[in-house]
Amino acid sequence: MDIIPQLILNSIIAGAIYTLVALGFNLIYGATKFFNLAHGVMAAVGGYVFFYLAKTLGLNIFIAVIIGVGLAGLVGYGLDKLIYLPLRKRKASNMVLLVASLGAFTAPQAVIAILFTSQFKTLSQHVGTQKLFEVFGGFITQTQLIILTSVVLITAGLVLLLHKTQFGKAVRAISDDEEVAKIIGINTNKIIGYVFFIGSAIAGLAGILVGFDTGIEPTMGLSLLLKGVIASIVGGVGNIYGGVLGAFLLGFVENFGIWKISGEWKDAIAFALLIVFLIFRPRGIMNK
Amino acid sequence: MEYLIHLAILFAIYAILGVSLNLVVGYTGLLSVTHAAFYGIGAYTTAILLTQSGVGFFPSIVLGVILTLITSFLIGLVLSKFKGDYYALGTFGFNTILFAIFLNWQSLTRGPLGIPGISRPELFGINFASNFNFLILALLFLGLMYFASRFITSSSLGRVLKAIREDETAIAVFGYNTLYFKLVIFIISAAMAAIAGSLFASYITFIDPSGFRLMESVFILAIIILGGLANLRGSILGALFLILLPEILRFVGFPADIAAQMRQVVYGVILILLMLYRPQGLIGEYKL
Repeated sequence: MDIIPQLILNSIIAGAIYTLVALGFNLIYGATKFFNLAHGVMAAVGGYVFFYLAKTLGLNIFIAVIIGVGLAGLVGYGLDKLIYLPLRKRKASNMVLLVASLGAFTAPQAVIAILFTSQFKTLSQHVGTQKLFEVFGGFITQTQLIILTSVVLITAGLVLLLHKTQFGKAVRAISDDEEVAKIIGINTNKIIGYVFFIGSAIAGLAGILVGFDTGIEPTMGLSLLLKGVIASIVGGVGNIYGGVLGAFLLGFVENFGIWKISGEWKDAIAFALLIVFLIFRPRGIMNK
Repeated sequence: MEYLIHLAILFAIYAILGVSLNLVVGYTGLLSVTHAAFYGIGAYTTAILLTQSGVGFFPSIVLGVILTLITSFLIGLVLSKFKGDYYALGTFGFNTILFAIFLNWQSLTRGPLGIPGISRPELFGINFASNFNFLILALLFLGLMYFASRFITSSSLGRVLKAIREDETAIAVFGYNTLYFKLVIFIISAAMAAIAGSLFASYITFIDPSGFRLMESVFILAIIILGGLANLRGSILGALFLILLPEILRFVGFPADIAAQMRQVVYGVILILLMLYRPQGLIGEYKL
């Protein structure tokens, strides 16, 4: 069997998942200019809320998805209002925000582990009996097809939101210069709150999709977040197109990297890519 | 009693980790989150030498330190190109890469199976197999590291480090090669972490990669931020508190596995609260 088409498909699917994390991360970074490490835990929140509603309570999966995504967004919004906003108002340094977000990441993750145990859980109803589609000699599952579709839709939606609406203009103005945005009358704190909601909601969706594709565990947030961060930096941090580009580049590098060596090296390969970029092109592909 | 000795030994090991990390984060202002990697190099060197060769405990410490000096020199060289939160991200990367090596270099580290049957040290006819004797040894090392660190911070080197933290450009203008000073303190701190690792491996007599992952570095960071940056006694205080915390939680009535998670919840919340209300920690002298 020829392995190249399957590797390409796997790379695209990995890239799609990283895109979702990187989109939200970049959106938040653009508006606030700090690395929100708690972003990853939103994926776990989304995944577990869905797990509880759909599998434990037996709710309709579409309603469960909406509630899971919404709650992940609300948690992100809450973190901004309770932690980051007071810190920003005090003009705290980026390191303070980074450490605070490290705390905001550790605590909810452990709470999830207490509530649902640390065991790996799968969200998919019918394990192993998924429909397979053949594409150019490789195989792709139904779940993965749904992942690809939602990533395309969400990226398109976000681009439209940022470029065609008043809200999008305000977000871009804040990303350019928060002080100036404030001076021309934009309620920056309110807008940033919404940005946190949207970004976190997208991460929540990423968590649910990963849960369907492989499964969920309380620590899933960290590895997803780090991939999202790497994708963002490689592509150009704060630039959402750069994030998408970086996500797919990362997907390809990772999947082709583990072609000849064991899959456990994936994270190390991802970080090696990050370090190479930090040394030679710290502002990423898209940023000058 | 035996249990108290066990806790005291763990405290001594984490206090060494805290004191040494404080040299880099507190005194020099570099937010390093890769301490667990050097801790792991020390632990693995001792574990491998003690189980697979006739080399004794004390020579294994020396070898672990040498190995760590080389590794941390190379890592420090790359990190010297980064600043602020990018520096922190770079250290995330190195921790993940070294963790991947511990996990995947199976012929040497036995991967996820870990290395069992590491022996306790013996010196001048004193056998450290009894926990009480080992406690004395651990405290001796802690004392040694503490006074070495005190010596460094009160020497002219310490003053240069603080100057780098406050204003790197200014001190560079005075003709100090800041790269050199940052590298020196980084590798000294890493070497101390390696010694803590050797002690840990020999004390527990079993190690596996999970003890040296990124979250462990975050835990060590929490110790020094809680105790206070740029205050060595603060790091000891922080280690004491965070080591005793799960025991307190168990005493209150949480089962053991939940107490371990509760510790993460508590120190996550502590990090957030400290950043919000007391960024210099309990008795720190420097705010991030």
